[in-house]
Amino acid sequence: MLDKSLTEFLEHRVAIHIGTRDDAMRPNGCRVTGVRVEDQGRHLVAYLPKAATPAVLDDLRSNGQAALSFARPTDDRAVQVKGEFISVRDADASEEAFVLDQWRSLIGELDAIGLAALTSTNTWLMWPCVAVKIRVTAIFSQTPGPEAGAVLS
Amino acid sequence: MSLGLEQLTPCFQGILPSMFFTCSRDGTPNAAFLSHVDYVDATHVALSFQFFNKSRRNIAENPYALVRVIDPDNNQGWALRLKFERSETSGPIFDRMFLRIEAIASYAGLKGIFKLKAADIYLVESVEQVSEEPGRQERWSTSGRRQPDAVFTMKALQELSARMTAADSLDQLLQSILSGIKEYFGFSHSMILLAGEKPNTLVTIASRGYPQGGAGAEVQFGEGIIGMVAEARQPIRISGLVRGMLYAYAAKKRAEERGWRPQEEVRLPGLENPASQLGVPLVVRGELVGVLCIESETPYRFHEEDKNTIALLGASLAIAIQNMQLKEAGDEPAAAGASAPAKSASGKKRQIAYYPREEVVMLDGDYLIRSLPARILWKLLQTHKREGRAEFTNRELRLDKSLGLPDFKDNLETRLLLLRRRLDEKAGDVRIVPIGRGRFALELGCAIELIEKS
Repeated sequence: MLDKSLTEFLEHRVAIHIGTRDDAMRPNGCRVTGVRVEDQGRHLVAYLPKAATPAVLDDLRSNGQAALSFARPTDDRAVQVKGEFISVRDADASEEAFVLDQWRSLIGELDAIGLAALTSTNTWLMWPCVAVKIRVTAIFSQTPGPEAGAVLS
Repeated sequence: MSLGLEQLTPCFQGILPSMFFTCSRDGTPNAAFLSHVDYVDATHVALSFQFFNKSRRNIAENPYALVRVIDPDNNQGWALRLKFERSETSGPIFDRMFLRIEAIASYAGLKGIFKLKAADIYLVESVEQVSEEPGRQERWSTSGRRQPDAVFTMKALQELSARMTAADSLDQLLQSILSGIKEYFGFSHSMILLAGEKPNTLVTIASRGYPQGGAGAEVQFGEGIIGMVAEARQPIRISGLVRGMLYAYAAKKRAEERGWRPQEEVRLPGLENPASQLGVPLVVRGELVGVLCIESETPYRFHEEDKNTIALLGASLAIAIQNMQLKEAGDEPAAAGASAPAKSASGKKRQIAYYPREEVVMLDGDYLIRSLPARILWKLLQTHKREGRAEFTNRELRLDKSLGLPDFKDNLETRLLLLRRRLDEKAGDVRIVPIGRGRFALELGCAIELIEKS
């Protein structure tokens, strides 16, 4: 379960990706614009750009397995959340500000370490999104180093 | 099969982090950041294996992976479908990745823990544009990608060569090299370190573009990019130093939390926050003469082509420097003619103390210089006090057994140059001034109190 401290980390200033796999055990993945932690940390909603590869949604519908990686650029603190797919829907306009605020907070992090080229000429298609609801099954530390992979919850 | 990986080489500089997707045998996916993806050839990439993490375990079970990289030139994302082929623990690919990681580990005080275990080689099965990460269009017209800046043109190399040829002393030669690198190639921050008196050390002899010259600053072999270049005698280019350091510091923090004690950090002898560094060994017939280091605050300032060209340039510089060292060592002193510089009547008095046991000279209580240059300075000052003489020759120093110069390749001229630079930076009114071939004068602009400490 995602506690308050982890929720705070996942919803601010982090680069997020979701990994899936197809039925032939080939990995797929795409960027995630933002997440919202729900149900006292038992679920999260991942906002995937609609422009992202359809393979990820196909995989989720097919086998439900998901891995979400969260990394903060300024100190490389990273967390991985494993989960199972529950549902997908179009994200609505009322969610846009919440999601894009997260995205902008990541841009601020990138600016802080001098990756201005990425942030000043952003052409990426991070909205509109689909909202993918995922049940959290495990949480791991992923910060680089000998402790990477340790179970957090 | 050509996948056009050559067109994506900017993606493999480590400037922007890459994402690595794998899947275990039981079907659990994994997503992890990678510090670096290295280009191997048109159909292969290499990933650094530093820690036994989940990604590595997954690959052992299921060789298929997906890696996403970003082109720093235009922000286009690319997805590469990979299949693991082999791990290499030696050879040119491993060595290149090893040196880069070791240099970063050295800065972070992480040598030994932040270490490349293997270079994992993957076949690239396909390359696709990432649809949610389109790049700027101007870089993706019919011409494809931009060419690296053509800084190392034949014209620039010829001009630098002409300037070097005109130099008639080691001092002039080093200055002409560094000024030429700025003028002709556009690199504002550079330094040259030559072999130090102690084994496996380098000492900064000339620099350009830094507020403090740093003459005399020593680097041990294996320390930072300069020390790694010296140890490996291979050029090293780091484009994404900021990213690499952040990754290393994250690993360090975790290791410290587990009770690991860090080594003392190596202070960077140059820019406070260099984003790109290029270190080139200066080698003649297998002998390391020194290292040329160029820095930039711009990420991805040096391209692979830069490294290759400047490595060639390094060979020429090494020969020129060594030839000049040999020439100066063999020069007969010019006939005395100039009168001794007059002592200034500034009224100022400075204290110079010599610590024979440590072979260190202090100026007004601050460290000035040590080892052979310190012994030389003390000798000159004592002779001047005793005999009133201000002119000296390199030859008399070379014949002076009390200075303890080695019989072979004493590098006296290099040490004198270092002493001159150090005095110019730190003393100001105590100077050594060349007054002819193999001859120099001690110039004192103040009264001096000499103290020998036991």
